[in-house]
Amino acid sequence: MASTRRTLLGFAAVVACATLTSGCVHVAPYERAKLAHPMMTSESLEGPAASHVLAVQEGATGGGSLAESGCGCN
Amino acid sequence: MLASAATSASAVASQGADAPDRAANDHADTAPKDAPVDAHDDKTKDTATERASFEMAAYQDNDAVTVLTPSLALGIDNQSGATLSATYLVDVVSAASADIVSTASPRWTEVRQAGSLYGEYKPRDFGVGVGASISREPDYLSYGAFATVRKDFSQKNWSLFFGYGFSHDTAGRCGADGQCTPFSVFSRNLLRASFNGGFDLVVDRVSLLTLTGDVIVENGDQSKPYRYVPMFTPAAAARVFKGMSADAVNANTIAVDGNLPAGARSDSKPLEQLPLTRHRFALTAKYARRMGDATLRAMERLYDDTWGLMGSSTDVRVIFDLGKRFALWPHARFHVQRQVNFWKLAYVIPNDTSLNFPEYRTGDRELGPLWTAGGGFGVKWYIGRAADPERFSLQLTADAMYTSFLNDLYLTSRIAGIGALGVEGSF
Repeated sequence: MASTRRTLLGFAAVVACATLTSGCVHVAPYERAKLAHPMMTSESLEGPAASHVLAVQEGATGGGSLAESGCGCN
Repeated sequence: MLASAATSASAVASQGADAPDRAANDHADTAPKDAPVDAHDDKTKDTATERASFEMAAYQDNDAVTVLTPSLALGIDNQSGATLSATYLVDVVSAASADIVSTASPRWTEVRQAGSLYGEYKPRDFGVGVGASISREPDYLSYGAFATVRKDFSQKNWSLFFGYGFSHDTAGRCGADGQCTPFSVFSRNLLRASFNGGFDLVVDRVSLLTLTGDVIVENGDQSKPYRYVPMFTPAAAARVFKGMSADAVNANTIAVDGNLPAGARSDSKPLEQLPLTRHRFALTAKYARRMGDATLRAMERLYDDTWGLMGSSTDVRVIFDLGKRFALWPHARFHVQRQVNFWKLAYVIPNDTSLNFPEYRTGDRELGPLWTAGGGFGVKWYIGRAADPERFSLQLTADAMYTSFLNDLYLTSRIAGIGALGVEGSF
């Protein structure tokens, strides 16, 4: 059951990759004015305190930085 | 070389119509082309940018937990592709939560310090980075290191990245008086190896996508040495309901100190015991799209682990540009998870003299079934000079969160708020 869930998760990743990349176009560097906006980034807008609260209060993890060390929280 | 070329050009421009034709490099002011460049004449600018930011955050919830967090981040970037950054934060935690009250313990206050250091070198389309982090509390020590690699393809239309991190956690125990047992006398160790990988993709002229996969392997005992789990007989367990108060739980556990049934033991609240290994998996997609004077940023994370906990987290912001000086955004977040496979509202032992505790037992609400809905806002004020307003900024964020605990003792819900004020600048 657990391995089936994980297999589905991996399959979802492959499908997501294929679907989302199928409609991509090549964007030349001189066409990236809007992409250069400072808010167009994958970096979190949350500060370290808010990120830590979410990491403690949500049982899930992932998608963030490798930098954070553990804590004896909760 | 550059100085001599510039001098030659000005020499040619200054020649009048009657001046004899001569090669520009015959001008008296022109230095020979093999002459060394005087260091004092070097007009190249400093290519490094220094960054600094400070944030003060405060958290409060209705379970009597308060946290104050000042944090500092410094960084330096060089146009050659080198980056160095450091962070430091302090958590001042004061708690008298339901879990603490249920064990008749007083409110405690604790200070946690954490820091990290990261360096990266990416001169062109390939980069490597290394870093380290440490976190210290009176009864907990965590330290680790990590490395990342990144490769750009197709004029940075897409990039691959991979990272590996390792950490070592040591958990100890302190008494209500603040005195802590040395780690050499009592401690529990947890080893964690983290792998992540994924890609960044330029979808089109206005959209970016990041897809990340995480695999985290944890080995060791991460059971909390302060968390006791009440045990019930089958008959008592039938009377237990979610949200039951600490007094009612204590009255229904098979033994309460000073009120023991004949033959019962007094340690019917054994310590929490979690499995010694945990494999965690996450798939995260982040999407950003520029829409006129606004930016949409969305995140979805799917999570699964070998303890049976599954979860989904969704986060959305729409950032509106209000002129060149302000940005304002509403924020919404929703998280839902199912419980670990050894979660019970009431753990049952056959009778009041039994030693047959469940092998795995926990009272950690974050391992139980729950959903959290949160929302808030943020505003950023760019206070730099007119030519470069984004060089300095102030940022204010405020969020509220409502959590519903679907099958827990003591608490059925929690309301929390967090606010942060930060200042950031580059030099």
